[in-house]
Amino acid sequence: MAIDLSPFANSWPFLLKAVALTVFISAMSMLLGFVLGVVVGALRTYGGRFFDIVLGFYVDTMRSIPLLVILIWIYFAFPLVIGASVDVTSAAIVGLGLHLGAYMAETIRAGLTSVRRGQMAAALALGMSHTQAIRTIILPQALIRMLPSLGSLFVFAIKDSAIASVIAVPELLRQTQVVAGNTYRPFELYTAAMIVYFLLCFPVARGVDWIYRRVAHLGSS
Amino acid sequence: MSAQETPVKRINHGESPILSFENVSKRYGTLQALDQVTLTVNRGEVVCLIGPSGSGKSTALRCANALETLDSGRVLFEGKEVRADDNRNARQVRRRMGMVFQNFELFPHLTVLKNVTIGLTTVLKLDEAAADKRALTLLAKVGLSDKASAHAANLSGGQQQRVAIARALAMEPALMLFDEPTSALDPETIGEVLSVMKALADEGMTMVVVTHEMDFARRVGNWVVVFDKGRVIEQGPPRQIFEAATVPRTREFLNHLGWHGESKIEPAREPKQ
Ligand SMILES: Nc1ncnc2c1ncn2[C@@H]1O[C@H](COP(=O)(O)OP(=O)(O)OP(=O)(O)O)[C@@H](O)[C@H]1O
Ligand SMILES: [Mg+2]
Repeated sequence: MAIDLSPFANSWPFLLKAVALTVFISAMSMLLGFVLGVVVGALRTYGGRFFDIVLGFYVDTMRSIPLLVILIWIYFAFPLVIGASVDVTSAAIVGLGLHLGAYMAETIRAGLTSVRRGQMAAALALGMSHTQAIRTIILPQALIRMLPSLGSLFVFAIKDSAIASVIAVPELLRQTQVVAGNTYRPFELYTAAMIVYFLLCFPVARGVDWIYRRVAHLGSS
Repeated sequence: MSAQETPVKRINHGESPILSFENVSKRYGTLQALDQVTLTVNRGEVVCLIGPSGSGKSTALRCANALETLDSGRVLFEGKEVRADDNRNARQVRRRMGMVFQNFELFPHLTVLKNVTIGLTTVLKLDEAAADKRALTLLAKVGLSDKASAHAANLSGGQQQRVAIARALAMEPALMLFDEPTSALDPETIGEVLSVMKALADEGMTMVVVTHEMDFARRVGNWVVVFDKGRVIEQGPPRQIFEAATVPRTREFLNHLGWHGESKIEPAREPKQ
């Protein structure tokens, strides 16, 4: 089998744009998932029974439905509900973010409950409100403790962005399929895609580990 | 009740008490953690709470600091009822009271300096510079100026507890609560914490101290309250409690502790600046 790199010579700007979109979708869904995770995790931990039950339902449904099904539903079924079509990239970000948010929420909740109760008492004793205590004292420690788990979830966000190719988001995997179809060079193109995913994920995983080793001691009360 | 009608005069500048418990009861399930507790703390006094484990001393402090709701009775602080079920009231009360915990409870993600300034910046809304200035003064006062940029994990227990005291003092409280501040310490660092507390008492700070350090209670305390099974079984000036306890259970408790007269309090520190 002869290796032919000419598809890259012609299509690299097209593929590079796809890589950029993969990075963008991953970053935005991480951001959405993280914000959701913090809010849902904190409300389930401190917000009382009502929030725990309602948000528990969100977490359980998101964790029980395949991401692929969620994306397809948002793209094909949700527009019928709102009577307007949705932009594929937004659909992908929302779907990935909602899904990731459920896992983030569980991770952050575990982190929050692992912080010793006395820390909350000490923060309240200074006259802080519950919100101030959570924001400045409990949450930072929880995030530090949960950094390795959060890191894996960030890596999942990048990997799962490839699933968005099924709703034709022009991200890396989708555009690789397009070029592979046009040039009949699937081996070269899919191998390249694999390498790019690795190059995107590996530094995130390693980087988070690196940061964690440096800050772990700050989270142990 | 006879123990409470003691003839000995307490520190009282003709003002009403800063803190008082009026028939306070608190149950956890079937366990009566506090049973009709009545006590008062006057401005400038050091009131020591002593008694066996599980007798309700910590619960009493938590009630004072609006961390627990009461089943019956009232806690009054600076003339106003303390209400743990009213967030605004609870925050106002806690802002005026400093609390020091057995396990220090320093914030591990913050430097020593930030541990002391966090209440100032988030609660009192001081700007960073003013907060740092006040914090550094207090760190000097507890003898830890050189540790401002360290993290709690790198301090000894005694140093951590001194930072915790500085953190509470930074809020300029009207009353300091200490819950067994030396119980988690190595014997060699107990003295440095007790010295800081004694210096504070000498400055006139009003303090409520839960302690097993009988020597501290006897020498620094103005008033000693003995708890047993959620009740105040006896209270009075230290000399009465330690040398002429009227309640047999008090003597039993003191004997059990192996109460002896050895001092762990270091001489007063050099005055700072
Ligand atoms: N949150 C709680 N839930 C249930 N029981 C509690 C709670 N807090 C305290 N108790 C119980 O109430 C009783 C009084 O506790 P408290 O902590 O006030 O005792 P203490 O005098 O401070 O004892 P120690 O010297 O061991 O600190 C104990 O039997 C304790 O187990
Ligand atoms: Mg206790």
